[in-house]
Amino acid sequence: MVKLTFIEPSGAEVAIEAQEGWSAMQVATSKGVEGIDAECGGSCACATCHCYVEGDVAARLPAPLDGELAMLDNVAAERRPNSRLSCQIKVTPEIEGLILRVAEVQS
Amino acid sequence: MFVFDPYSPAIDADPFPAYRRLRDEFPCFWSPEAGMWVLSRHADIVTALNDWQTYSSAKGNLMTELPNRAGATLGTTDPPRHDRLRGLIQHAFMKRNLETLAEPIRAIAAELAAELAGRDRFDYIGDFSSKFTVRVLFAVLGLPMGDEATVREKAVLMVQSDPVTRTKGPEHIAAYEWMQAYAARIIALRRAEPCGDLISLLSSAEIDGDRLEEREVLLTITTLIMAGVESLAGFLVMFALNLADHAEARRAVVADPALLADAIEESLRYNTSAQRFRRCLTRDVTLHGETMKAGDFVCLAYGAGNRDERQFPNPDVYDIGRKPRGHLGFGGSVHACLGTAIARMAVRIGMEELHRVVPDYARVETDLPWMPSSTFRSPTRLDLVRA
Ligand code: HEM
Ligand code: FES
Repeated sequence: MVKLTFIEPSGAEVAIEAQEGWSAMQVATSKGVEGIDAECGGSCACATCHCYVEGDVAARLPAPLDGELAMLDNVAAERRPNSRLSCQIKVTPEIEGLILRVAEVQS
Repeated sequence: MFVFDPYSPAIDADPFPAYRRLRDEFPCFWSPEAGMWVLSRHADIVTALNDWQTYSSAKGNLMTELPNRAGATLGTTDPPRHDRLRGLIQHAFMKRNLETLAEPIRAIAAELAAELAGRDRFDYIGDFSSKFTVRVLFAVLGLPMGDEATVREKAVLMVQSDPVTRTKGPEHIAAYEWMQAYAARIIALRRAEPCGDLISLLSSAEIDGDRLEEREVLLTITTLIMAGVESLAGFLVMFALNLADHAEARRAVVADPALLADAIEESLRYNTSAQRFRRCLTRDVTLHGETMKAGDFVCLAYGAGNRDERQFPNPDVYDIGRKPRGHLGFGGSVHACLGTAIARMAVRIGMEELHRVVPDYARVETDLPWMPSSTFRSPTRLDLVRA
């Protein structure tokens, strides 16, 4: 299990013990974190699982692939340098402690 | 002894008691009838969906696969090829790019619903949902009108399987061949006169500078038509059935159509029309004390994961207030359904228009005839009567 923290649009922090191998989006939706719509089910096709990654760990995340970078053009909230689609972030021991601030709007 | 046979008519009609035993007693179950392992718990299915390197789609994803599809379509390739192919098509299916279709879809639904005015009893599938589905799909894919009824008939046959031989029968293969010939005709038409639509684009698309193989173009388009027509038609029936059976939910969505979106998600959880798909293992995997071998097929029973109380409390209760995020009604991860946005939009608009004309209804028969299919689940006939 890997510890992740989500910050919901309301500001509430939710700490989660995440299953390795799942995506951050799946962890969040299966634990009821608010604000992630994930309309496409994690196929990198909707841009409604937008989060901002924060904390020291963010720098250690593998860089987004081309498909994610292209889909990030479609996010509804402001796109920032630390914008990521949470369905494309895989839970591994290396990302222990990652903070994901859920974007305030998804569509 | 416990048996789980996805070809049996009893499973077509009601798989849910068997799913419960699978989840509770046999979470990693070898089914000799299916010739594959069955995973039924929500968490195990999610884990498998993420690990496409181990749970490969390249040997086919339909429980009973059609000849030659493996390796040639979205549902039957693995990344990176899958992602490149999907990249070519995905754009056309994004929600924002479908908005121009909302009014045409509403017009189709309104026209069909108007024909039900004044009728006390009707055949929901024959009079409404199947006509609506093909006309919507023809609009989405830019197919020339004229062959709708045959396309619908063949798409529905293609996805069926024979409960006795547990394979595709000659009539199913013939339907598949008809659909390929139909797709080939459309491809030739679009190559002769490209019109900027999805099929024109796919017919001449390249990946890394190479033209797609002819087999890929043909079977990808054949599968798009099949997946679109059968899945949407099947789900429209399941949704109407749920609303017919649950008066409180029906009255709520008729009074406030904005609630349809939540009801659709709950029906996708409660009884998705796409019940089971398969993967093939690329290495040995040990799960719940069983060792599955490289080369074995594994069924991901989405319909069972959606009733797993480890994820969804009171899973057998139909509750449109539930907001069941993370449901597996469209699968998930890399191979999650391409058509999620068009399916949600078409179902919502279709029911809004139907409800204007027929706001209150019940089903006529208690026992419904169910389609024989190892992958999909929906009744083949649903008569409704005004309540
Ligand atoms: C409510 C209706 C629908 C349901 C319940 C549904 C369900 C599903 C499911 C469960 C999968 C995953 C298959 C797997 O895991 O191997 C899938 C994949 C797919 N669906 Fe749908 N579907 C629906 C409508 C549509 C429509 C309307 C289209 C097209 C116009 C479509 C096209 C596809 C395609 C192309 C795939 C393969 C995606 C890939 O592997 O990348 N579906 N669908
Ligand atoms: S869930 Fe759709 S892009 Fe992440």
